[in-house]
Amino acid sequence: MSNKQGGERITNKTRELVQRKPSYASWKFWIYVIIAIAVYVYGWHATQINLKTLVKDAHLVKPLVSDLLRPDFIARNMEMQQVKAPFQMPCTANPPKNMTPEPGKPSMVVSKTCGKIGDTLTIKATGLRPNTKGRLWWEDPIGQRDLLMEVQSDTNGNLEATFTIPEVRSGEGEISHIVLEIKWPAGGFHFTKTAKLVLNKIIETVFLALMATTLAIFIAIPISFLAARNLMSGSLIGKLVYYLTRTFLNIFRSIEPLIWGLIFVVWVGIGPFAGVLALTVHSIAALGKLYSEAIESIDPGPIEAITATGANKLQVIVYGVIPQMIPPFIAFTLYRWDINVRMSTVIGLVGGGGIGFLLIQWINLMQFRQAAAAIWAITLVVWTLDYASAVVREKLV
Amino acid sequence: MLEIRHLTKVYEDGTVALEDVSFTVEDGEFLVLIGLSGSGKSTLLRCINRLIEPTEGQILWNGIDITAASKKELREIRKHIGMIFQQFNLVKRSSVMTNVLSGRLGYYQSWRSLIGWWPKQEMERAILNLQRVGIADKAWNRADALSGGQQQRVGIARAMMQEPKLMLADEPVSSLDPATSHSVLKYLKALNEEGITVLCSLHFLSLAREYGSRIIALKGGKLVFDGTPHEIDHERFVSIYGEEAKEVEIE
Repeated sequence: MSNKQGGERITNKTRELVQRKPSYASWKFWIYVIIAIAVYVYGWHATQINLKTLVKDAHLVKPLVSDLLRPDFIARNMEMQQVKAPFQMPCTANPPKNMTPEPGKPSMVVSKTCGKIGDTLTIKATGLRPNTKGRLWWEDPIGQRDLLMEVQSDTNGNLEATFTIPEVRSGEGEISHIVLEIKWPAGGFHFTKTAKLVLNKIIETVFLALMATTLAIFIAIPISFLAARNLMSGSLIGKLVYYLTRTFLNIFRSIEPLIWGLIFVVWVGIGPFAGVLALTVHSIAALGKLYSEAIESIDPGPIEAITATGANKLQVIVYGVIPQMIPPFIAFTLYRWDINVRMSTVIGLVGGGGIGFLLIQWINLMQFRQAAAAIWAITLVVWTLDYASAVVREKLV
Repeated sequence: MLEIRHLTKVYEDGTVALEDVSFTVEDGEFLVLIGLSGSGKSTLLRCINRLIEPTEGQILWNGIDITAASKKELREIRKHIGMIFQQFNLVKRSSVMTNVLSGRLGYYQSWRSLIGWWPKQEMERAILNLQRVGIADKAWNRADALSGGQQQRVGIARAMMQEPKLMLADEPVSSLDPATSHSVLKYLKALNEEGITVLCSLHFLSLAREYGSRIIALKGGKLVFDGTPHEIDHERFVSIYGEEAKEVEIE
């Protein structure tokens, strides 16, 4: 009785079912395989994938990456000694006088105190901090500086340098200055200007996203009721409104926030307000759809039970529908805020305010350490919001 | 007195859920509806308070035609008909208290009910009803923190808030274990003894025999039996549940 299982006999039908052909034995399977290969071969060519360049030119990106890893947030506190010597161009009857060096105090003497472009000058500075690097500048009569050379004081705090007067603004016997600045770390750090700017703009970005999300909530909630199949399927007009609302939501959602950004920058001008409007429109479309799906998926049981008690339609919504909708509404809204922070950086690219505007400028100016500061700030904020919204969602749902 | 006259329900997809069902329920009866799943028990109960609109036929309750009532009249009628459900149908995230109070909404159609500002005597009524079903200490718990049996007792308390004259129970114990089933049915029996008419659908014939004063059986949307519990012998049982059925006991 070895061929009996649970009272059923092995028949031809059983054998037939057992010996079904495996999928690779059919010609259809191989046609699908060939189609798939053709698709990926074309894709490889169409996107110009070139693994050789990827390996060979890896070194090109090294300075960029190293800049990105050193965001311009903090700098060392520096101390500075500065001496200025007057210089007249061209010479008049009354040229400025060299200062008299005082022992222990930084001072600088120039080989002559008036002259013209192309003259060779020698400066001798004394009383400086020993073995310290610094820079020698040419400062024209209106305060514009040109770097002359990098310098360093010797062990006695003296410094001697020779240079040629470069092509600078001269004027008519006006006074320019030769400026010597030597700098050294004083211990401790301070936040850079970039950091302050980034902080300012990242706050603007977070609030831009907050305002856009909040405005969108108020408009998306009523719209979501109109786009919920279970609430609107009662009458013909209801169904019509449902389809119209759905269509509008889909059209608005398919238009990128960047395009909305362009439209509103033209409409209300460059600045965060345009960004708020652009993100609001896109968020209405996205939240409207998410909210309406949340309404569609609520448990109809409580609605039935409350209707059965003789409650009116509004009471049914307040007691039966809204309590069920609160958790998904909060979850979707937080998620949207999170997305809006990320998107507001994109909006900034077209002038919609926020940190994106700064970021694109720094990238265009190849100031990658500054750009890195902006990128790190965005990352940090997005991480934080992501984490916070996850915690809140977990508590609620 | 509740009179069901020639009640027929055909759903949009053409399913005939009820076909020419007629019977009368006297005040104070404990009427049990039996029948296979899909035999039309739920549809029948929901037609009585018009959660489902009947296709044909009349339902008269103490001379009032429920089937002809306007929306406003219907709310007034529903106010006096309590209902409990197989899946309890509580708002899970709301407190037990809010769920129980929602049974009273028919009496307070004002804006105050919308912001949850209930008069003190209604709060007391809610606690008293919870005390009757023995779970007053859970009043401020979330509904989904309670066990199945406790949730069904909240459902009973909610229906009690309506001070109903008629109680509809749609398979109230099908999601519960045997011991809990008995406790829930005992509460329904107690209400019945206070004079509330009960219409209750049940799966287990043993429970129907124990609690019902009268049994009605549906099969394929038709009324196939109307009589007292002891009238159901093996022959009738087979005609209701089919040849393959075997009676199981629930202790």
